[in-house]
Amino acid sequence: MIELPLAILITSVLGSILAGFVCSTMGVFVVRMNLSSIGYCMSHAAFAGAAFGLMISFDPLLSAILFSFGTALILGPLAEKARLESNVVIGFLFSIMIALAFIFLNFIPGQAASGTALRILWGNIFSVGYNDLILLGILSATLIMFITVFYKEILSIMFHRKLADATGINTKAFYFAVLFFTGFAVSLSLRLVGGLLVFALIVNPTSTAYQFFYDFKKIIISSPLIGIGSCLIGFWLSMAANFPIGASIVVVSAIVFAISVAVSPKRKKKRKKDVKIN
Amino acid sequence: MTENIIELQNVDTIYEGEKIPAIHNINLKVRYGEFITIIGPNGAGKTTLLETINGLIPYTSGTGHVFGKEIKKHKMDIRKNIGYVIQNFDIDPLAPFLCKDIVMTGRAGKIGLFRFATKRDWELVRHNMDIVGMKGFAERPIGKLSGGEFQKILLARALSQEPKLLLLDEPFSNLDLSARRKMEKLLTKIHDEKNITIVMVSHDLNFIPQRCSRVVVLDKGRIIMDDRRENILTSDMITTIFHKEESRV
Ligand SMILES: Nc1ncnc2c1ncn2[C@@H]1O[C@H](COP(=O)(O)OP(=O)(O)O)[C@@H](O)[C@H]1O
Ligand SMILES: [Mg+2]
Repeated sequence: MIELPLAILITSVLGSILAGFVCSTMGVFVVRMNLSSIGYCMSHAAFAGAAFGLMISFDPLLSAILFSFGTALILGPLAEKARLESNVVIGFLFSIMIALAFIFLNFIPGQAASGTALRILWGNIFSVGYNDLILLGILSATLIMFITVFYKEILSIMFHRKLADATGINTKAFYFAVLFFTGFAVSLSLRLVGGLLVFALIVNPTSTAYQFFYDFKKIIISSPLIGIGSCLIGFWLSMAANFPIGASIVVVSAIVFAISVAVSPKRKKKRKKDVKIN
Repeated sequence: MTENIIELQNVDTIYEGEKIPAIHNINLKVRYGEFITIIGPNGAGKTTLLETINGLIPYTSGTGHVFGKEIKKHKMDIRKNIGYVIQNFDIDPLAPFLCKDIVMTGRAGKIGLFRFATKRDWELVRHNMDIVGMKGFAERPIGKLSGGEFQKILLARALSQEPKLLLLDEPFSNLDLSARRKMEKLLTKIHDEKNITIVMVSHDLNFIPQRCSRVVVLDKGRIIMDDRRENILTSDMITTIFHKEESRV
């Protein structure tokens, strides 16, 4: 077990909690609105952006946000119309972003290059600073307000976007709000979880929550809780076993998801029914 | 304000990226309080016509007004008073929504941004679930309903909006004969009690509600007949259109 000074321990725990909260809250939207591939692309763009920032000695957080927003601006309108070419563009951008990230990482100046590079690749709990906590805190508060204030619009859009449009809701504004919040969430969690794995923290806890509940309210409450839990257990595991933090968080959230599929009351009922029909 | 709730003049609607209009040269006037059925074979443009009326698809030429307001300019506004029951679609059986919440989503636009559902809103939800005969289903997951039950929840959803105009896209498509009869009764009751104008779409010639006095026939994107129900049902043209359709299937 690694011993930590108290201040760093508190920062790390808070960082895990907040990153778990923002990512798995956005997951509820991303999964239900079929934004998985676009979100996946955005998180890799954030990764490339962070690498780019480190290369040119620019704030990596800001460049991560800029890269993922750029991706959202390109892909958003295409994916929104469910155009055929959106899948092609997603595939293209995804591979380009990964390639760019590795090129940028290669050119990060200074002796600590490989260490820095590995940090944004795998994530590192010690790179979560006071500023990150503040930004994550602001994003968390914004998300809670967004969901509370626009709950009925959100529910309507999640159920059926066209029907939501047909009742006079501006669904386009919500769609892009979700994309931008996702961009913030992945960019701010990048340092903790790492560029390659951050998207798992978006999808796994939400997918776990979907195994248990039919009530959207319960999902929007339980998904962040599961995300926070996975992050905390992952944090402990990484301390105890000296695993990279990002990997241990993702492994924990994946195991939780696998168990939930096995014990899911939703799936069990379905299976019984299938048997009856056969 | 005119006495017409819907007024379309020479309207064409072309889907983005297409060349041929899905509906062409549409002239349609519907008076307040009417109950009309639009019939036509699959692909005739019925859904396109409904979605042109509520502005989900912008028309590409001609002029269109609903409630006396130009559709494209006022679409957000007019939609708040148009209930739309969409053509049957498959819902994910694990979808995380309860029936009462779905019925409430019908009111979301009308309640408006930055406002919360009040007690009266929930009363309307309960009332409309009662009307469609889905009283005990408030806490049921939406994905666990039969096709007919789902259809009724979507109708309750549209009604909870308190619309002046109701657009129904193939509301009988997923129902067996007795459920169709019940649905017809229900629509008649709604038309009687709520003073709503109803525009219904159907591809089934055999199922036009008794209450519906006027039938519009759509084929290949054009209105080819618009007449009283009796005249339409006895015309020769209709049998040829629908006979063709049946023999093709
Ligand atoms: N999103 C779309 N893009 C392009 N063409 C479409 C689209 N939706 C429908 N169409 C075409 O428009 C025509 C009318 O379709 P639709 O209004 O759905 O017919 P109906 O509801 O009468 O079955 C069809 O030829 C259909 O292929
Ligand atoms: Mg149709």
